[in-house]
Amino acid sequence: MSRTFVDMARGRLPLSNLEKDLYPSYGFTKANILEYYRGIAPFILPHLKDRALTLKRYPEGVEQDFFFEKRCPMHRPAWVKTAEVPQDDGDKIRFCLVNDLETLIWVENLASLELHVPLARAGSPWTPDSMVFDLDPGDPANILDCARVALILRDLLSRMGLASYIKTSGQKGLHVFVPLNRKDTTFEDTKTFSKAVAGIMQKHYPALVTAKMAKQERIGKVFINWSQNDASKTMICVYSLRAREKPFVSFPVEWKELEDLAGLGDPERLQVVHSEAVRRTEEKGDLFRDVLVKEQKLPHL
Amino acid sequence: MAVQGIWSGTISFSLVAIPVRLVKAIEPRGVSFHLLHSKDYSRLSRKMFCPEENTMVPPDEIVRGYEILPDKYILMTDEELESVSPERSRTIEIVEFIDTKDVDPIYYDHPYYLVPSKGGEKAYQLLVEVMRRTNKAGLAKFVMAEREYLVAVFSRDGALALTTLHYSDEILPDEDMSPKKGKIGAEEESRMKKSIEQMIEDFNPGKYADERRKKLVDLLATKAKEKALVEAPAVEEEEGEGPADLVAALEESMRKVKAR
Repeated sequence: MSRTFVDMARGRLPLSNLEKDLYPSYGFTKANILEYYRGIAPFILPHLKDRALTLKRYPEGVEQDFFFEKRCPMHRPAWVKTAEVPQDDGDKIRFCLVNDLETLIWVENLASLELHVPLARAGSPWTPDSMVFDLDPGDPANILDCARVALILRDLLSRMGLASYIKTSGQKGLHVFVPLNRKDTTFEDTKTFSKAVAGIMQKHYPALVTAKMAKQERIGKVFINWSQNDASKTMICVYSLRAREKPFVSFPVEWKELEDLAGLGDPERLQVVHSEAVRRTEEKGDLFRDVLVKEQKLPHL
Repeated sequence: MAVQGIWSGTISFSLVAIPVRLVKAIEPRGVSFHLLHSKDYSRLSRKMFCPEENTMVPPDEIVRGYEILPDKYILMTDEELESVSPERSRTIEIVEFIDTKDVDPIYYDHPYYLVPSKGGEKAYQLLVEVMRRTNKAGLAKFVMAEREYLVAVFSRDGALALTTLHYSDEILPDEDMSPKKGKIGAEEESRMKKSIEQMIEDFNPGKYADERRKKLVDLLATKAKEKALVEAPAVEEEEGEGPADLVAALEESMRKVKAR
């Protein structure tokens, strides 16, 4: 195992296997991955801050086995912040909190290419600060169908007085976020609301949408997965890499841009790779910033 | 992170009122199983069945009846039940103090701890200490989840423990249990005393564990390693329903979206 050291504000951090190609069919080494996260850090860190991180580690690259790791590894440096979060089964797990660049680099050195976080912060694990609609296309439906569904969702939510924001999942789907940022929101609220919305969407667009989890219901349709609105679920963090054949990023898109891209009919155009992600954030800033700060109340609950 | 409370309020008597939270003191560790359909490993659910009509009964057709004579019932509505439920309350009102040794263990039902909330720490400590020194337990009434409980509050290891008690009319009489008194011979008595004395130990329940549970957990671990797992089919969700208000508002908004 090769070792390199990097000097950071908190001291010297050992990095291992920098030359290892973790995206072999594209050619993207661990050094490239660390470089990506270093560049995107100012944008991704606010979205990771104080959230219990689930690591999804690909020690042998995206084509080999991965494993999820909830418990913050015991061999962590002393400065890595952690938080204990109660689980459904009554147990508590000590998670890593990625609150600074050093921790982000340390986590990436563990080949946790994908960063998954809950919709609530570790200090208030039962208070979601956003509601999410996870749009997942069932073959042969694709990301363009998701875009159509997302645009209808945006209009419906807007009629309900709610602003929404969209990002690619970095895989095949799209994620619609409705920022709430209120102390009195519960997962029961977001679940009830999102389930009712998914039901209405299915009722009015039965050929395009399903609100049902069952695989055979999803063929050729966009599954609106409202059940992600749960304290025990995590979502891929905005700006995180995905473990696909290429280093795609879960990336925010402007609604106007989505309208244009949906009209073009090329699903590939909706995917954002690492280099484009860095370039676009530098140009446009964090399009997902409002998700962290905008206060909205779910009506009719 | 603080333990989640089951209830929070104050414990009080005469002029004392201490803010506290009630937390559970025991966690049953039984291994529980789900019932699955052997054909596809779906989780089975319980439904209400009417044997007369040979059909499932939806929730809105289910009412509550008290059987007063065979096949004769008095109907009871939710409202009527609620009318006899105690008012919700935020206090554990100690009504008397008793000697701890006077509490008959047969009355013990379910144990909890009381932990002090912000601002109550000092008074809490004082109460714990005084109850410990005087060997007194508080007898209190307390409403939780629409039931009024009789509870005993003890000082235990520097904290307050609360145990719900059975009401005295729930305790079955023991008259029939004890045999008629006969004469006890002095020799028999001393023999039995001796054999008991030979077995005296300190109370140390940690020595004992649920052996069946241990074996069961080991068996589960072995089977999990062998990957003897079966998978349930993806869950069929119900049609998107929701609060009537919300659904109506969504329908109205959807109409406008489509009209554009």
